[in-house]
Amino acid sequence: MEEVDKILIHALRQVGTEVGEDIDRVNQFTSELIVEAVVKCIRVIDPGLGGALPTSLPPGMSARFRVGMSLAQACQDIGYKGEIGYQTFLYSNEPEIRSLLMFLVEKLPRESSETSDQPTGKSAVLHRAIAAAITAQLAVSWVPLNCRLPLHCKTQSKAASHSFHVHPLSLPHCTKGQKSLKEVKHYQRDILFPVTAQFPSQTSMVSSILEQHTAELSNAQEWDTEWKSQGLLSRLTPQEYHSRKLTRLRKRIEEQLRSAAALGSAPSDLILTKGTHFTHTQKFTFTQEVAALTSPVHTGRQLEGDTQPRQQEELAFLQQQFQQLCSDVEQIAADMKHISVTNAQVFDELKQMELDNVENDEKMQVKKKTIDLLPDADSNLQKLQSQVEASANRVVNLASQWEKHRAPLIEEHRTLKEFCSSKDLESSRKLSEIKSLHEKIQVATEEAKKKEELYKQLVTELESLPQDVSRSAYTQRILEIVGNIKKQKEEISKILSDTKELQKEINSLTGKLDRSFAVTDELVFKDAKKDESVRKSYKYLAALHENCNLLIQTIEDTGTILREIRDLEEQIETENCNKTVANLERILDDYKVIRQENSTLAAKVREG
Amino acid sequence: MEALGRISATDCVKLCHGVVDGLCGREPPCRSDYSATWSLEEWLQLLDYLTGLFSLAVGSNVPDEEVLVKLSDLDHSHAEAVRSVLRARQEEIRRALLTRTNSISSATLQDFDWQLKLALSSDKISSLNTPLLSLGLDVRENGALRPITMELNREELSMLVSSLEAANKVVLQLK
Repeated sequence: MEEVDKILIHALRQVGTEVGEDIDRVNQFTSELIVEAVVKCIRVIDPGLGGALPTSLPPGMSARFRVGMSLAQACQDIGYKGEIGYQTFLYSNEPEIRSLLMFLVEKLPRESSETSDQPTGKSAVLHRAIAAAITAQLAVSWVPLNCRLPLHCKTQSKAASHSFHVHPLSLPHCTKGQKSLKEVKHYQRDILFPVTAQFPSQTSMVSSILEQHTAELSNAQEWDTEWKSQGLLSRLTPQEYHSRKLTRLRKRIEEQLRSAAALGSAPSDLILTKGTHFTHTQKFTFTQEVAALTSPVHTGRQLEGDTQPRQQEELAFLQQQFQQLCSDVEQIAADMKHISVTNAQVFDELKQMELDNVENDEKMQVKKKTIDLLPDADSNLQKLQSQVEASANRVVNLASQWEKHRAPLIEEHRTLKEFCSSKDLESSRKLSEIKSLHEKIQVATEEAKKKEELYKQLVTELESLPQDVSRSAYTQRILEIVGNIKKQKEEISKILSDTKELQKEINSLTGKLDRSFAVTDELVFKDAKKDESVRKSYKYLAALHENCNLLIQTIEDTGTILREIRDLEEQIETENCNKTVANLERILDDYKVIRQENSTLAAKVREG
Repeated sequence: MEALGRISATDCVKLCHGVVDGLCGREPPCRSDYSATWSLEEWLQLLDYLTGLFSLAVGSNVPDEEVLVKLSDLDHSHAEAVRSVLRARQEEIRRALLTRTNSISSATLQDFDWQLKLALSSDKISSLNTPLLSLGLDVRENGALRPITMELNREELSMLVSSLEAANKVVLQLK
């Protein structure tokens, strides 16, 4: 019964009845608590019916009686079949109250079944929440600015419609390096406003700061990924890598601009860089022309005469002149190109000739020497030969010496090369290790994030499902109870079969006894006719049989009486449970109270 | 330029910082604070002069001595004030000039803002549940700010994102 009571009290608490912490059985319920619980249940089951009922008992006795009557009526309306009346509430007894409460709790609408009907999942829940919030906001009517309560501020104030505009900021840590300059320190200390005061309007503050930080963060991240993917492979320090990239980019941009300039051809003024010589000259002449053009127009306007044709003439003339000048310039440019080309050619030829000259000079000197040596040819030849031999010897000597030096040098070179390659290998291995480490770090962080999110989601789910825990406990208990009942049933059937066997044995024994008695009786009766002593023994036998029968009868009677006693004891116990005496006393008291109330009322009527 | 001598050196420092702020895209100095000192024409000339000086000095890395030569017609304390401002804000001015050079094309994106909205229903359908993104772009075109506002549904947004990603890829290849 304790399990049932716990479930009942849990359900009643969920309905909204304030059941005290120390109450854990139905027989501890007071009349007030019973009335409150029943009324709350009825209100949940049928709001129309329960709305008229009070949740607490009134002080007057007759009023209490009426409340009890109406409650009983309401319970019967809902469909309670059991015995019910005002006495159920006012003079409660445990089984009645329990059966009534069980009926009411079963009738309660199942919240969990309702929620399980609706689609679950995060997005559906979010959608529903958004829809609910918007309908709530739409239900709030618009009010003028001055009448707004805090309720309206969220949805109707202008703050919600501020757009996300960004202003540039000046922050000390943005300007890295040159920290030591005292001008910088002076500026940061004395003149620079705090970041919250740097905006024309307060609304852009948060957005600007956010934007600044996001920009810095993304910058750092980009650099990080680039460094990990390419920078590490280049085996340079970050500064070197930076400067190299800078020069590369610069070269690239220059190339792009040059090609664009070549495509776009001369006269467009938009091209900023490195125009050819021709474009410069053309630009120069063109601007001059414009200046020349504007001044006569200016003076002509002052005259205000019929200078139209003259102007036209002048214009045509000037245009002609301009075209001629243009063509002149073109021609001159072409000439210049031609001349520069021929100039270069001539220069080359000159160089060639000079080289030839030097060669010829050398040849001539050699020939001059040989002519000088001709007169003493033989001795000179011998001298020359000895010199040649000596030099050849020297060459051999030098070669052997060189060989001596070369061997260790080559050895060293080889070892150094090997060392270098081994270092190279090691460094590339380390690089790959670093890369794999980076990847691992990334994977691990992602995993950690995922797990954290999962954990959060699970925690929220757990928070949203507190009832299911108790439900599982209940089902477990129910299963336990069912198991117990099964065990008990088995035991009962065992006892029943035992009883049946006993009965059978008793029956067979009685039959045996009867038969043996009949046989004995016949035998003894036959002999009794002949012998006096045997007749005596026959008498004894009859008496024995009778006494035994009597004994059995008595035992059976005792059994029935014991059973009756037990039944009566049980009845007494149930009656004791019903608190009949106490209830009777209470009824008597209440009766007296009602009589008193009646008499006072009668006295009032008489006075009135 | 001599007009700068009409205020004290400390005020001069303040004014120059204001001019640099304006150069970096923040609030330029307010004329009403100095209306007693200079006429409108003088004020505009002065602003132009200072802005030009700062941009030139930082943009072409003019050494301090040459800046001082340019400021030789001012008395020493004022020239020193301008120079100290220049040295203090050099990095910021450089950044601002770089940003200007970066936005070399005819139209550049200055700022953007987005709001995600969920259309729950329309005049014809009771339950729509369509997410819509309203995207606002502030585009600077030939010096004038032009706001562009558009509303995109899911497909249009993914199209926009993919085209922007393709553009980013081109930029990355250029690097």
